[in-house]
Amino acid sequence: MTLPIDARPLMVLRLATSPIQEIGSTPEGTLTIFPVTGGSFEGERLRGTVLAGGGDWVTARSNGTMTLDLRVALETDDGSLIHMTFTGIRDDANGYFRTVPRFETAAPRYAFLNCLLAVGTAEIRPEGPVHLIEEIL
Amino acid sequence: MNTRPLMTMQVKVARVLDVGAVPYGTRRIAPLDGGTFEGPRLRGTVLPGSSADWLLLRPDGVLELDFRATLQTDDGALISMKSFGLRHGPPEVIAALGRGETVDPSTYYFRTMPRFETAHPGYSFLNRLIAVATGDRRAEGPVYTIHEVL
Repeated sequence: MTLPIDARPLMVLRLATSPIQEIGSTPEGTLTIFPVTGGSFEGERLRGTVLAGGGDWVTARSNGTMTLDLRVALETDDGSLIHMTFTGIRDDANGYFRTVPRFETAAPRYAFLNCLLAVGTAEIRPEGPVHLIEEIL
Repeated sequence: MNTRPLMTMQVKVARVLDVGAVPYGTRRIAPLDGGTFEGPRLRGTVLPGSSADWLLLRPDGVLELDFRATLQTDDGALISMKSFGLRHGPPEVIAALGRGETVDPSTYYFRTMPRFETAHPGYSFLNRLIAVATGDRRAEGPVYTIHEVL
């Protein structure tokens, strides 16, 4: 028996980044850091701003893909803080850019974020990366 | 989110090691005694020895799963699989699972996010994909329906 899987929208995350920091060739690949200077997130159940101070550690691999490792802090419009991380794969040759976000919060109102898995579909727009994040039901 | 079937995986849990109270919760380790996987593009066996699920019961009642397994395809390729997952549900359902009873998997949340690594050219597509899985905890071990995220 195979079990179905379903998802529902969680948020749209828009990130603003400052000039990249090119670390260069490392044992894992070519590492570039994208500092996050701000941004916004919005969904039915939560909305607010991305705080400056996070970043995305992007490693270009020998197979042509990039792996992402992001951590940022979100502040909701009612003042709660949410720690968000994701790993992901960006494969420009195949138009594939997907992430696996995780959330941690101490705010009871947003505790549901501690208990869910999510998948993000991302695209790079002129104003910066935009992530459509869905909760795995 | 669009997905397509990747494989169904059935693993056998040999025994569960109770590590006990650790700084972040209660740790248990479930070594795998092997298993099988089958999908349209790959099939084979789960190798015992390096395959296990490291379980952490958090103070909020959510079980975090840190699963690692080595897969061997029917044509001899080795694939390393790692997945992070969450399992939680109503107390009575979780208690029934703990007693080894058969429980309808739709009554609790058991989802994982597998990632794969392989050097075999025939399976290199696995290096480039994100997957999500629905789990079904049976007495002899979990069954995962793994979907590729398109």
